[in-house]
Amino acid sequence: MLSFVARRVAAGVVLLFVISLLSYLLLSIPDLDVGRQLLGSNAPQATVDAKNAELGLDRPVFVQYADWLAHAVRGDFGTSWFTGENVVQALSTRLPVTVSLMLGVTGVTAVLSLLLGVWAGVRRGVADRVVQVLGVLGYALPGFLVTLIIVVVFAVKLRWFPAIGYTDIAESVPGWLSTITLPVASLSVAGVAGVSQQVRGAVIDVLRRDYVRTLRARGLPPSRVLFRHVLRNAAAPALTVLGMQFVGLLGGAVLVEQIFGLPGIGSMTVTYTTRGDIPVIMALVSVTVVGVIAVNLLVDVLIGWLDPKARTA
Amino acid sequence: MKKTISGVALAAACATALTGCAGGGAKAGGAGSTLSIATMTLPQSLDPADANGSALPFFQAVYDTLIKREPDGSYSPMLATEWKYSGDRTELKLTLRDGVKFDDGSPFDAAAVKANMERFGKKAGAQAKTLKDVKSITADDATHVTVKLAQPNPAMLYYLSDAAGLMANPKSFTKPGDPLKTKPDGTGPYELDSAKSAIGTKWVYTRAKNYWGSKLPYEGVTISYFDNETAIVNGVKTGQLNAALLQNADQQAGIESDPKVKTVKQEFDFQGMILFDRGGALVPALKDARVRQALNLAIDRATMLSKIRQGRGTATSQIFGAKSAGYVPELDTAYPHDPAKARDLLKQAGFASGFTLKLPRIQAIVPDALASSLQTDLNAIGVKLTWDDVDAGAVRRIFTDRAYPAMVMNLGQPDADWIGVGDYVLPGVFNMFGTSDDTLKSLLPKIQAAPDGTAKADLQALNRHLVEQAWFVPFYRMSYLHVSDGTVRVTPQSGMAVPALYNYAPAK
Repeated sequence: MLSFVARRVAAGVVLLFVISLLSYLLLSIPDLDVGRQLLGSNAPQATVDAKNAELGLDRPVFVQYADWLAHAVRGDFGTSWFTGENVVQALSTRLPVTVSLMLGVTGVTAVLSLLLGVWAGVRRGVADRVVQVLGVLGYALPGFLVTLIIVVVFAVKLRWFPAIGYTDIAESVPGWLSTITLPVASLSVAGVAGVSQQVRGAVIDVLRRDYVRTLRARGLPPSRVLFRHVLRNAAAPALTVLGMQFVGLLGGAVLVEQIFGLPGIGSMTVTYTTRGDIPVIMALVSVTVVGVIAVNLLVDVLIGWLDPKARTA
Repeated sequence: MKKTISGVALAAACATALTGCAGGGAKAGGAGSTLSIATMTLPQSLDPADANGSALPFFQAVYDTLIKREPDGSYSPMLATEWKYSGDRTELKLTLRDGVKFDDGSPFDAAAVKANMERFGKKAGAQAKTLKDVKSITADDATHVTVKLAQPNPAMLYYLSDAAGLMANPKSFTKPGDPLKTKPDGTGPYELDSAKSAIGTKWVYTRAKNYWGSKLPYEGVTISYFDNETAIVNGVKTGQLNAALLQNADQQAGIESDPKVKTVKQEFDFQGMILFDRGGALVPALKDARVRQALNLAIDRATMLSKIRQGRGTATSQIFGAKSAGYVPELDTAYPHDPAKARDLLKQAGFASGFTLKLPRIQAIVPDALASSLQTDLNAIGVKLTWDDVDAGAVRRIFTDRAYPAMVMNLGQPDADWIGVGDYVLPGVFNMFGTSDDTLKSLLPKIQAAPDGTAKADLQALNRHLVEQAWFVPFYRMSYLHVSDGTVRVTPQSGMAVPALYNYAPAK
């Protein structure tokens, strides 16, 4: 298992390097003229050129990247070109918001999908059809529409939850729960719809296997067959989908953070990318890639733990 | 069954606990509480050198200006208690308030004014141009400053009540890394609470101890940045935000029906086509005033206003706002929708078969409906309009590269006329080809040298001339909506879309 994890970590480091390099190159293609943006339309060209030189933008792009990398590996991501804010500090205030959101959505999606998928797969009949219809509905409804309906009903009309803002968990746990509930609910709808169908399909598939019939014939209690054998074998595809959902959540987080006014990295990405604030964007890219690698690794480890054959794959 | 009941009870308990937290983000904006304002302006930093008009409240919390601008646009003392121009209006003498100190105990004095103004001009921030006419600043003694101007500038008092007048502690200027960007150091009514603020998202200010002036009504102020009005509207409706400005007509319509929400309308920005290429360098047809007049006559302003802004605004053909001295009411209707007359003018100018206009398009300013409406109107007189989509980050290149003959924009209509003249008429960003003529050369110096409030006739003559020569193709003045959750009274700021921080008070 250790060598399996080591191989994955090494591949992750290479991936991080490649993506960071590609990102830097891509960011350098559009001529955003950062110096001009910073100093305004009226600034003399010489002043703009001096500003660009001060930021190191007059150097070849590979030199710029090497400089960035040399600092980044030491944890120094520099300061924002536009706000003068320390990038690590800026991310440290925003990352918990998005991480809260993504972990909440993943937790809710995992639990609800498991319950619904197992219920539909084991019971079949009406329960199965209900779950399938809900799945199609949840998948078909546009995310922004679901989010707007949830915020209007539960925040604006019923006033059960705040419509905007975020309370840090360290400041108040109930406050954190209240601010994160509706965004998590909004993002979970499509996730539950997708993963529950995956669990349902996997459960039905495993229940049809010969060894399950054998276990039943030997007189094992149905609950033991389900929890010890069926779910363990059905977990791998569900975990894979859940992992992919987690990674895909970043895109959905942008919209939800905007509608709920959450100060997360989703809305930050939009704001800083349009400005061409490379230190901030590169830090965001690095954090996101590390997150994706970590989640994929976790999923692989879990699947490997559940199914030893997968470790050699 | 028992389990079901327990589950319901647990859910109810959770809901109750959470409900207690709903709306807990901001206390009601009554006296003594915290004022929570929403904004869609992201300040570049909290260094006064980076300040600009729409971000001014961020700065007014922590810095004072030399002169205070009242809601009606008049000036009153702040850090300067008196000011006086010389006869030729090229020398401005300021008397400073005595006894004001920065947080570290160092005095606010004439040396601080000199250091601040010189730095503001040198730092080349967005508003540095406002001090371009300043020739020298002399500290006569601790409380007296003389500002010498290269030429009269009727907007100088306005500028000193705006970004250029913000006074920071000069000791911060020499510290490494420009600490003012994130740690403002002024004499203002509040201090930035860095621990509770998240720069780029939320700025939390608490009342400054020992503030020299009269206290503002709120113990604290929180300014939150949003990149969309949907979140702002929801925040105001639920009382999490006390006040905001809404520009989008649909959002305005959506919030007006809420009985708890208080609203105040204000017309400030106008939307229109700014014709840069009046000399015909890029599009020869635009050199002829008749062609520019034809473009004005082709626009169906009433329909456009009704369909695009739900009638929220006033159709106009002039760039001067209704509260400015240069405003002439009848010029609002100078160019009625008359495609036949427009085609006739094009024919007279030798462009009967029309021409092509390729304009930059910023999606946020020119949505699909406006883009197609303009294409339809201009196509009706034979002018083919094509759009070139431009990313927000590349907008500044439009003004430096000078590759487009015109651009559709939302621009402010300041009540202080010289600001509008300086921005839109004098050679500069919006007159990038430096167009001028004999009438302008005759009128502008007179307006520039006239004592305050005495240039009305010349300003109106200038306005008439600009409309007659069709320098611009204005569509309408847009109506903005100041909204509050009912606990706050917002007084609009004359000549600005965003109210000053001093304009918020508890509703009675």
